[in-house]
Parts: sequence; C-alpha cells; structure tokens
Amino acid sequence: MEITVVHHPFGVAEVTVGGRLNMVTAARMREAIESAIDSNHPNVAVDLSQVVFLDSSGLGALVSGLKAVRASGGDLRLVRPAEQAQLVLELTNMGSVLKSYDTVGDAFPHA
Amino acid sequence: MPEIVSRTLRLSSPPDTVDTVQDLLATIWAQTPRLDPADRMAAELSIVELTANVIEHANRGQAIRFTLTVVVSDDRIEATATDEGSVEHVGLSDRSMPDQWSERGRGLPIMQALNDSVEHRRVDGVNYWTVVRARRSPSSKRGRKVMPSISISGVIDEMARQRALEDMGILDTAPEERFDRVTRLARQLFGVETAAVNFIDGDRQWAKSVSGAGPVEMTREASMCTVTIQGNDPFVVTDMTADPRYSEKVVPGLLAFYAGFPLYAPGGERIGAFCVYDSTPRHFSVRETEMLRDLAGWVQQELTVSQELSRASEVQQGLLPQQLLSMPGWQIGGVCIPARAVGGDFYDWYPVGEGAALTLADAMGKGIGASIIAATVRAVLRSAARFADVAGAIDAASAALTIDLNNAGVFVTAFHARLDMDSGELSYVDAGHGLSIIARADGSSERLRSHAPPLGVDPETEWPLQTTVLEPGDTLIVVSDGVLDLYDGTLRSLDNLVALALLAKDPWEIIEAIRARARGTSSDDVTMLIARRDDAR
Repeated sequence: MEITVVHHPFGVAEVTVGGRLNMVTAARMREAIESAIDSNHPNVAVDLSQVVFLDSSGLGALVSGLKAVRASGGDLRLVRPAEQAQLVLELTNMGSVLKSYDTVGDAFPHA
Repeated sequence: MPEIVSRTLRLSSPPDTVDTVQDLLATIWAQTPRLDPADRMAAELSIVELTANVIEHANRGQAIRFTLTVVVSDDRIEATATDEGSVEHVGLSDRSMPDQWSERGRGLPIMQALNDSVEHRRVDGVNYWTVVRARRSPSSKRGRKVMPSISISGVIDEMARQRALEDMGILDTAPEERFDRVTRLARQLFGVETAAVNFIDGDRQWAKSVSGAGPVEMTREASMCTVTIQGNDPFVVTDMTADPRYSEKVVPGLLAFYAGFPLYAPGGERIGAFCVYDSTPRHFSVRETEMLRDLAGWVQQELTVSQELSRASEVQQGLLPQQLLSMPGWQIGGVCIPARAVGGDFYDWYPVGEGAALTLADAMGKGIGASIIAATVRAVLRSAARFADVAGAIDAASAALTIDLNNAGVFVTAFHARLDMDSGELSYVDAGHGLSIIARADGSSERLRSHAPPLGVDPETEWPLQTTVLEPGDTLIVVSDGVLDLYDGTLRSLDNLVALALLAKDPWEIIEAIRARARGTSSDDVTMLIARRDDAR
C-alpha cells in the first residue's frame, strides 16, 4: 500500500491511498489519520480512487479514523472510491456514514 | 471447454498474511479470464475475510497452520480452508451487519452476503470452512438458483483423512525394517509378486514399504488402494481384467489381481491399505483373507507405535516454556531439537521476583527413557522454585530424584540459575554440566566452570552457589553437548558460540543459526538457552 498525505488550508488533509487496504495495511491508515489530527488537520479527505482492494479490516480503520476526527471537531470523507471499495461500502451499509465525493474540494467546500 | 483452476496454499501465520493469499488469488484470476469481475471481486473479498478471520480470531499470538484451497469451476467458486485455531463460537447464524460505528465484526456478514453457502464445522480441534459462490452466468442475471448441494461432509472427510495422514508424519520417510518384514512375509505367504503398505496422499499413492516389483509412488487415479479405503472390509478383485470397474487399472506384467485391507489413523480415518497384488489373476480363499487381515493388523500396530512416539514428542515440546519471558532490558530465548522423536534435554524459564529462573538440563541417554527422566527433573526443579536460593532448589531436586535416578541407572547434568533483572547478577549452580559461557560485550568470554558432579551420582553432594554479573551487552549461552557436536565436538566449540553471539543482533539469530546447523545432521539432542542483556543506552 502506498499512502501520501497533502495538507490543505483550513485544516484539511488529503490522504491518498493506493494498493490494498486490508488487515496488513489498516494500521498504517490509522496512523496517517492520527498524524493528520496531531498536525491540526482534522478534516480528512481519504482518496480511495487508487485502492484496488478494501476489506472489513480496512473499513474498520476508516471507521476508527472517522471517530477520531469527529472527536477533534473534524470529519472524514471519501473521495472517488474505486469500484471494489464502492461495493464494500454498499454491502456494509456504510455509505451514509462514510460519504463519497468527487473531489477534495467537494468533500470540504470551505477549504 | 471447462475452466477449472485449483490452488492450495499452506500458510503459517505469522509471518504469512492476507497478502500471501491475495498473491495466490492473483495467479488464479490470471488463469480464469472468463470469470465475471463481480464474481472475482466477491470471491477475493470473501476469501480475504475468511483468512483475516482465521488469523485474527484464532491465533491468540501463537503461530497457526492454515490450509486454503480455491477451486474455480464452470459453475462455481469454492474455497475450503482448515485451521487449528481455537474458536469458541462462530456467529454464522447472525447475518446482520454490526452498528455503523463499530470498527469490527463485518467479515462474516460480508462473506454471507456475497456467497451462496458459508459453512463452518469444528472437528477434533480443527476448523473446516467451506465457502461457495455460484458463478454469474452471462445469459442470466445473478443466478440464485438452487445450487446442487456440495457434499460438505465428503469434503470434510477427505480433508480430515488427509490431515490425519499428514499428522502421522510418515509420508516420504525412509523404508523401515519393521514394515518391510511384514511385506516380505506376505509375499512369501501368499506367493504373490508384490506386497505393499500404501498411503493415499492427496492425488497420489505412496508406499512406506514395497516387497516385490510394485512402484513406490503412483497417481491416485490408478490406485486400487484408494478403492479399499472407501470401506472397512477386505477388498479383493481376483481378476481385474474381467471386471469393467477396474479393468482400466490393470497394469500388464504387474497388476491384474489385488487384495487389500484398510489401514487407519488413530482417529479412525482410513489413510491407506496393506495389499498384495500380482500380474496374474488368482483365487483368494477365505483363509487367505483372514491372513491378510492379521498381517494388516500387524502393520496397524507398527503405525500406532509411530503415532504414540510422535504424540510423546508433542507432549515433550509442550513442556518447554511456551511464553516468552518479558523482562525489560533482557532478551531470553531457547531451542530444543531432539535427535529422535523425544529427547533427554530440556530448558526452562519462569519469572521469579524481579527476575527469572533459568534451567538447562541433560539426562544421560536419548529417547523415551531419557525424556521421562528429563520431565521429572523439570517438574522437581519447578516445584523447588519456592526455595529462595538456587542451591536449595538443586539440593531439593537431588533429594527427590536420587532414588529414581539410581533405579534407572542414569544421571542428569544441570545448570540452574537465577537472574536479577536490575543488577544483572546471575547466581547459579552447575551440576556437572559445564557448558555455559558468557560472551562479553567487549568480545571477551568467560566460561562458567563446573566442579560439582551431576545429579544422581552422590546424594551427599553439596553444590556450591556461584555468582557472576551480566553487564549490558553481555550474552549468557548455555548449551547441551549436542551443540558441541555441531562444531568440532570439543569445548573449543564454545568459542564459535561466542563469535556467533557477537555477530547476532538478538538471541533468535543465534538460535536460527544453530537450528540451521542442526538440520538433518544432529545425532544428539541439541538444546540451547540464551539470555542477553540489552546494551546500555
């Protein structure tokens, strides 16, 4: 899994993930979100367009991240989840909690 | 053209992970280009969830073995898996997704949502999983038509059978006289060209013993013994050429008559057959059938002896410390490789106060007798842990064991120590062992010499308590004499261990190096205990 973080104004962190987001890489996803919060970027946009595989462990990391950013007054939103990730979100009824947007700008319009 | 692709993967987790499984799946997908992407996605997700579930819930920090087979056929994708993890209950009846805020618990519901059948059985401490998804056909929408039921019991029986056979540890071992004499005798008694002890292993038949012309290995498809193991009765075909069911299995000049009797694993699984065969059809009398049964019983007894020995070996390995000692500032490791199934060496550790007790002992001899003595010494030293001083523990062990040791005519060398975590002080008693050395951080070394006799020689012995200190960066190495044999067999070998300790970054590197040296070559039990004090920062 490749993971890159870009900081935007207004506390927005754009986290782009590539490869597999599974049991092996879930911990690194959590860490990336934690460090965004630590650097005062609690509005996290997770770009899932490059994710080839997402499973329940990866999803668990996103839920855990969502709870952490909300506790810090921010939010976690998804950007363009790839087809397989979309399937997992639908299957688990998580689409309403982890909302998807087309761009980071759409996800956090005030940024 | 049917598109059937099957892969089996044996995993050990750790270090294997779901990534290993996904890499395997990638090779399957590469060979099934006509598989609908929705099916592929669903299957991959299900299999990864299954794997993750096994790894996460079953291993409790210990390594587990896990076998996964994926079959993609024309109408379905089937994944079967076995693991030895301890699962108390699997909530397969509860299909609902957990609360949206939950970080866990979605794996099984995902599997159930994506597949036509998800089954879990636990038999004899082994979990069997079967996940089946009907393939989406191009003509119809996702066909949730009734699946022809796959025989999960058949799958389980075969998997249990295979597992029982593997657990016996007999496959691909060298010929042994105790089996060969039975096949030789059978050949003479029945006047046949070949007698064999065959096992059915996956898609092949393998012979532990062949007397006569028959092959050691052949395909299961061509095997007659695979028919024998379908029942509990003698299976005799007097003329295979005349029987359309078996005429395809005739091998001119080798096999036209067959008589076999099933062989069993301890759990009752039919794992193979004792058989006689000949290139010429012949009669087989009732009396001969009874003789065949008797000889099969003999082979069965020999198999049971092997199995009990390997059980004994498991019990003994179980007596070694399973838990890592957690002592801040210290790394402690050990290894014990018996020369035979069981051995007379052991090492042990357990926490005591602000430190640990460390033991390595070597009962004279090898094999079962020595292992019983070793287990007794371990138990006595452990129960003597209540004695505040190390020498007291050895005295108590000596008092308790002398009669037993005298009766058995053996003695035991032992190194028993107590290590203080904070000061690094090592107080020890060496009862005739003398194979302990400290590799100092500066490259020098110090042998911990022994002037006292082993346990079981003289009950009046007073074992002196000695003391040294392990400074930061120092490594204590205690070995059995089997380790010396991995080098030149003399005490100079201890210098090799010191060099190894200086090069290795932790005790496990030293252990791996010894393990590698011992592979296949050790004629004596190889046992080692290592305590390294972390470098000062």
